[in-house]
Parts: sequence; structure tokens; C-alpha cells
Amino acid sequence: MNAAAAGKVYPDAPFTVDPDRVAAFRAVFDEPSGVPSTFVTAAEFTVIPNIVADPDLGLDFSRVLHGNQEYEFRRPLEEGETLTIRTRIESIRDMGGNGFLLLVTSLVEPGGDVVCTARSTLIERAAS
Amino acid sequence: MPSVRDVAVRTEIPSLSRVVTREDVKAYAEAGGDQNPLHQDDAVARAAGFPGIVAHGMFTMGHLAACISRWAGGPERVRRLTAQFRAPVYMGEEIVAGGRVRSVDVERGVALIDCWVSVERDGHEEWPIKRGEADVLLDA
Repeated sequence: MNAAAAGKVYPDAPFTVDPDRVAAFRAVFDEPSGVPSTFVTAAEFTVIPNIVADPDLGLDFSRVLHGNQEYEFRRPLEEGETLTIRTRIESIRDMGGNGFLLLVTSLVEPGGDVVCTARSTLIERAAS
Repeated sequence: MPSVRDVAVRTEIPSLSRVVTREDVKAYAEAGGDQNPLHQDDAVARAAGFPGIVAHGMFTMGHLAACISRWAGGPERVRRLTAQFRAPVYMGEEIVAGGRVRSVDVERGVALIDCWVSVERDGHEEWPIKRGEADVLLDA
């Protein structure tokens, strides 16, 4: 992983809180109503494939584990709404040969306010 | 739904357990969008040093979210949720989500919950999620 990629901002992408997809997600976790808080992962995954394939970053996804995850909401997501997904590389650190990649994703509503912030730490394990 | 008046520090969140199956993990991969073969292909998982496929960290966190959401009275009341992934979860294992109220902010009407997911493996307790936190909006 190339530490110089820290600070990189990826192109905005639209994300619709698709009611069918929310229903499928709820069914997995037997949640009776609403948009589960971890549904935001679906928004993060609209951008993550671009990050995984980014030659500037050079991530070896076959060695990646999910280390840490945080979601913070200003308000709940609403089914049917379309938000803008904005992801940046907050930091890249090396600890004992393992690389720690912190991605910060904002879900932004049309007025420009952030609805939810997601922080994901991906760990690229040292090559064996 | 819990209210500011009856939620005390150290109140336990009712635990929620489930046995994790391949079908669950596949359904999660489709709904969540993470199609990493580590979670669907045993050969890939073995090459990465695991005995077989592992559940997504986000599968385990989704289960934790469901546990908190049940107590809170709906997912819209969960305003913050964090997790550290500390151990893998294998197919056929029973994961148990739980939590405890650490503090209550009466003015804001928010409870801070410490939460976790444990699994018993070979007679030991492992922690797929440790040091989780949730902020839950309470009734007035």
C-alpha cells in the first residue's frame, strides 16, 4: 500500500436508499422496520471497488481484513432518498508490517448537509 | 421503548443470539454488496489461513445493530454505532450480541451503550466484536 495516497478524495457517487435492498438487508437481520444502521455499508461499497482497484493506492485486497467500523448519524436514512457518497483516505499507517487504511465516507443530502459519516479501517496484513 | 426516566447506568440490553449459516452469509453479501470470496469460497479462505469461510465483520456488526435496535425501539433511534473486529466467525457458530448502559445524558435524552458480540469456541470465549459503542435516543 502506498502511504502517499493518504488524503486522496474519490469522485462523488450517487446512492439511492432502495426500499427493496433495505428490505433484503432487514430480512438478513430479522429487523422489523426502518433502515438498519449498518445498511450504510451498501453506500460505502459503491466506492470501495474503485479504491481496491486504485493503482495510486496499490492495496492487495486478498490480504485485507476489516479492523474497525464506526457510523454516526445526524438523522436516520429514509427509504427512497438519493444521497451523494463522498469517500476520502483519511490516513495510511504501518504498524508491525500491517497497513492500516482509514476511509471516511460522508453521505450528503441535496442541501449539502451530511446525513451520516462512516469510518472504516481496513487492515492489509503483512505478506507471509 | 426505553425512556430517560427508567434507563439506569448498568442496565443490561437483552442479549440476541443466532447460529451463522452459509445461506445467511450469502444473503448478506448480496444485500450489503461485499462479494469478497473470503466469505463465500472455502479454498480462498484456506489460502488466507482460515479453516473455512468466515462471516463478514459487517454481518456480525449487523447482528449487533439488530440487538441494539430491538431494545431501542427501532434502528432510527441508533444515532452512533462503533465496533472493533477482533476475532473471525465461522459457519455453524452461535454468536451472542449484548450490551450495557454506560451513561445517560438526561438533557440530550441519549444513552451511551457498551456493546459486544461473543462466541464460544473450543471451550473459550472469543470476541468477534469488542469495545463497541452505541448512542441510543431515548423517550422523554
